[in-house]
Amino acid sequence: MHSPVEQFTIKSLMQLELFGYDISFSNSALFMMLAVILSTLFLTLAMRGRQMVPGRMQGAAEMMYEFIADMVSGTVGNEGRPYFPFIFTLFVFLLFGNMLGLIPYSYTFTSQIIVTFVLALFIFIGVTLIAIFKHGTHFLTFFVPPGAPKVLIPFLIIIEVVSYFVRPVSLSVRLFANMLAGHTMLKVFAGLAVMITGAGGVYAPGALLPFLALVGLTGLEVLVAALQAYVFTILTCMYLNDAIHLH
Amino acid sequence: MKPSGQTEPRHIKPYLYSLLAGGIVLTMSNAALAASEKSEESGGLPQLDFTTWPTQIFWLMVSFLLAYLLMWRLVVPRIGSVLEERHNRIEDDLRRARQASDDAEKARVAFEEMLANARNEASDKTRQATESIMNKMDRKMETANANLAKKMVTAEADIANAKNAALKDVSEIAATSAIDVVSQLTGMKVNKTDAKKQVKQAEKALA
Repeated sequence: MHSPVEQFTIKSLMQLELFGYDISFSNSALFMMLAVILSTLFLTLAMRGRQMVPGRMQGAAEMMYEFIADMVSGTVGNEGRPYFPFIFTLFVFLLFGNMLGLIPYSYTFTSQIIVTFVLALFIFIGVTLIAIFKHGTHFLTFFVPPGAPKVLIPFLIIIEVVSYFVRPVSLSVRLFANMLAGHTMLKVFAGLAVMITGAGGVYAPGALLPFLALVGLTGLEVLVAALQAYVFTILTCMYLNDAIHLH
Repeated sequence: MKPSGQTEPRHIKPYLYSLLAGGIVLTMSNAALAASEKSEESGGLPQLDFTTWPTQIFWLMVSFLLAYLLMWRLVVPRIGSVLEERHNRIEDDLRRARQASDDAEKARVAFEEMLANARNEASDKTRQATESIMNKMDRKMETANANLAKKMVTAEADIANAKNAALKDVSEIAATSAIDVVSQLTGMKVNKTDAKKQVKQAEKALA
């Protein structure tokens, strides 16, 4: 019996080393590359026809584009336009990563805290730099909530600063924890079904219960995969909006 | 007590079954968790194995950078251009539809104007034609009447002349027949002038 968290183990597929660091091409890296290649293939092949009236594939590709375009213009406004390719990449990368992970025997790189944390940290630093370049020292007023009573301001500044610096943690942990919990749960129920079947005899039909739960959970996980990619992306948009417009 | 004791199992039955099923699931999952904990003792959460972090950070940077370049340079312009093309096409079609509708409206107004003009012109012409026909008829009637009157005058004159001529002949005839009568009766030859004189006297006496 495998542990339900064994599925998250990084397995090296090709040994590589750079400046003394182990940068082996692992199952995690393989699925990152697969997400990039498959998403690019899907989005380019779907748009190959350049049809005026889109078919199913082109419609799906256009829907993804317009979904993110509406999200960026809705949360950030017109100033968000230059960041659209990045936001779109982020959404597509996470969506394909999450979805590919649901295929049995595949690997979910978004279930790795280091992956989600590096992404979140990159966004956090980028957004902070944008805010500093755009507003200079005026950026510091972001930590003073407008219209707050004067007595409360020192406390509020502490709260605001803490909540600002917690952003990369909350952003990364949300995605990581959802993927970890979802895949662990799937594994537990799948393992249970296998085990009950293995017990044989009168217990064997009981395997149907965890199996049905597994089917339901898989549907739920598809939803979570899409939803968490969306949540990560829209929060990035909101942070970007804060950086560009402050309050 | 007995009747209630008989009915009780019927109510309890579903709960018993669900309890049993729940019990089976719980013992099984406990067993599964126990088994998993046993094998977990060696590792813990693989995500917290720091030795795998450098490779993941490296490949995340590589793949995300690659994804960004592909999306930025290839995918986004491609989808964007198709959407823009469609947007322009729709705008263009709408604009042309509006133009066509405006043109149709203009044509309708012009047509109605033309129709009204034609109607006015037609009624004018009808009126004019009626008037001119009436005038012509009046004029013709007048000339016809005038001619008739003239003809009547000349006819009357002719009749008077004829009458006069006839009357003149009567006295001539009377004179000659008087001469004849006299010569036959008396054998006297009467002068024609005398005869005429006598006739005139007789006419006067008769008149």
